[in-house]
Amino acid sequence: MSGTGRLSAPGFPEAAVRDRARRGAAAAFPAAEEYGSTLYGAASAAPGPDGLDAMRLVPPLFMERRLEKLIDLGREPVHGDVDLATRIGGLHAPLPVYVSATGSTRAASGDAGLALSRQAGALGLPMVIGENVVPTGGYRRGTGGAHGALLDRLTAYGEALAPGVGGVVVQQSTEDADAEVWNLLYSDPGAAALLDSGRLAFELKLGQGAKPGLGGMTVLDDREAARLGDRFGTEALFPGGTTLRSATPGTFTAEILRQQIRLMRNNFPRARVWVKLFPGRDVADAVRVAVEAGADAVAVDGAEGGTGWAPGVFLRDVGLPLAECLHRLAALPRPVDGGLPLLVSGRMWEGGRVAKSLALGAAAAGLGRAALLAVDEDPRHGLGRLVDCLAFELRLLISALGKYRPAGLGPDDVWTAAAASAGEHPGVVADRR
Amino acid sequence: MTAPTLDTAPLRPPGPRAHLTDQRVRDALTVQQHLLTAARAFLHDAGFAETLPPVIGPVTDPGGRGSKQVDVDFYGHPYKLMTSAILYKQTSLLAFRKIFCIAPNVRLEPLETADTSRHLAEFHQLDVEVAGASREEITRLAADLVVHMVRAAVAALPEVFARLGRDTSAFAGLTPGGFPSLTHAEAVALLRQRGHEQSPDAEIDWRGEVLLSAARTGPFFVVDYPKGSRGFYDRESTTTPGALRNFDLIAPEGYGELCSGSERTHTYAEIVTRMRETGENPQKYRWYLDVVREGVPASSGFGIGVERLTRYVCGLDAVWQANAYPKLPGVVSP
Repeated sequence: MSGTGRLSAPGFPEAAVRDRARRGAAAAFPAAEEYGSTLYGAASAAPGPDGLDAMRLVPPLFMERRLEKLIDLGREPVHGDVDLATRIGGLHAPLPVYVSATGSTRAASGDAGLALSRQAGALGLPMVIGENVVPTGGYRRGTGGAHGALLDRLTAYGEALAPGVGGVVVQQSTEDADAEVWNLLYSDPGAAALLDSGRLAFELKLGQGAKPGLGGMTVLDDREAARLGDRFGTEALFPGGTTLRSATPGTFTAEILRQQIRLMRNNFPRARVWVKLFPGRDVADAVRVAVEAGADAVAVDGAEGGTGWAPGVFLRDVGLPLAECLHRLAALPRPVDGGLPLLVSGRMWEGGRVAKSLALGAAAAGLGRAALLAVDEDPRHGLGRLVDCLAFELRLLISALGKYRPAGLGPDDVWTAAAASAGEHPGVVADRR
Repeated sequence: MTAPTLDTAPLRPPGPRAHLTDQRVRDALTVQQHLLTAARAFLHDAGFAETLPPVIGPVTDPGGRGSKQVDVDFYGHPYKLMTSAILYKQTSLLAFRKIFCIAPNVRLEPLETADTSRHLAEFHQLDVEVAGASREEITRLAADLVVHMVRAAVAALPEVFARLGRDTSAFAGLTPGGFPSLTHAEAVALLRQRGHEQSPDAEIDWRGEVLLSAARTGPFFVVDYPKGSRGFYDRESTTTPGALRNFDLIAPEGYGELCSGSERTHTYAEIVTRMRETGENPQKYRWYLDVVREGVPASSGFGIGVERLTRYVCGLDAVWQANAYPKLPGVVSP
């Protein structure tokens, strides 16, 4: 099966993602035909610039939790005994993974957006539909042209969806507020099945990791730019009749965020409320305000996040890395009834990064570029195979750490060189939590 | 006629002929005419100017609780049907100090409101706005106006009330001088005591409103709604941040809300900030913001739901019985 090969993702482990989209869980290992003729080892001992990648997961030798599981099962536990089912921002998912927002950006438009919706639905993965889809692609079937209208994506997702899992999360930008996206959906018979089963959520977007402090950006041809110019800022920056379209980032204060969340809960009491934050220096304050105001989930997109169009200087120079966000959030008080509903995204595609994020306090991780590449590789099964492999790795990792649920992971399961040299020794006392 | 219960089976309007020839509907519309005639007389006597409200405009009341606006193509520009006259009420105070109008409102309410007995997608509001008035003054005016309207209709139409089966002794307690009031926080506490999970940060939900209403024998005000529950135009208290200087008038016997009102947010910077807090894009309110930037009078006002008041006064099962061409949310009708 060869894919369309339409997309590329420089700086992202594209080849590895495509390999998984082709081979599924088998891709957790090198190609079997190379066995016996290739010597394997880590590519580099030097930690890279990415804090999460530089960390290691450190299983203890003594495992109280495994003994509990052994007693429970009456036999030795294996990795297949790890139950990955997770509650993500009020939605149920078969593993601690969701598909993060892909909005009006061209890479996620048209058939790709629909194929992604179908596969995510079939897997029961919660899926975020990004901002500006309605002003750009339209709302109702047939109005979206090449972009794919919002309802088309929703329908494609819903038709493939298994009972009791998944859900669709719809962003609304400042420009979307003019189009009343949430209002339209909340009383649309086409969304009633999701709403009635508690599987519709609305996401308030404060920004994204690839361009902290900026609004959504896309590139349009001149004809589209003329159509949208009254609602978005447009600049004829590029040669060949193409135009940069910039949405406004929106103005927030703690009080504006608090009140917008309360208004969402007031106006849409049957929908879940998600909030997406860019990795700003006050990310811990923003998460606290959002949770206190009643958000069902707060998603933090690290500076490693991608997918959409972004200026190079923002990718290089702006925003906190996800590892630093998790570090700053670790100090937040955890609600007594379960964890902080924290979701994270940024270069997620395999089990290690996801497991480290969970250990550092996240409830789930979002796939952005990886999901699009997988669908690009195989529009029918690419995402399924990628997620199979990720789930397989998560089971291996979580059981290796002597745990059998994602929520059982904790900071002791992660080792960082920086913390170790500073005299902190996480992981030294086995399973002390 | 018995007061509405909490779990009545949904009633739906018949076709237009059966509806318009139904004696209960005719009686309800007769009472409604007397209510409006009395209101006009009362307000004219008090020095109010009656204005004719616009039906379409580039922007309208953002509304709440998931209701949608209706788009109109105005020579290629996206316009809206009015969900309420609020923006025009405030700016009309540049012409007159005290105004009222009887305004049609269109709100595409969520589908689940079709069976609340209290929601119409198209309804009418008796809108009042007074420059310089405080909440105390405006609630007093609203109470006196309602008392006058109800007494006038009851005095003029004894045979109609008899035919409707409405025991007019239910209005014996309606006397000028204001209605009792409780705060939103007190209402939340009362509902929670009765086992109803009411969010302290949100609007009183529909069932909660019926529970509060059913426990009373006369109309009452709920005041000080929290900020996240209402539009930008309800003014925030300067002494109790987070509380709005607003009110709802609730009818007794389970009939629920009749009227909403408030002191208005009227300074430019406060309006823009509150627009952001309610998720609105100030850009689309350009004409209104241009006016308020140069100043509009401080004011208070309210809007009485004409069909809801008629329903309460007549003791009707559902609000659609008080409208000649009722449109229930999601129900295709003439």
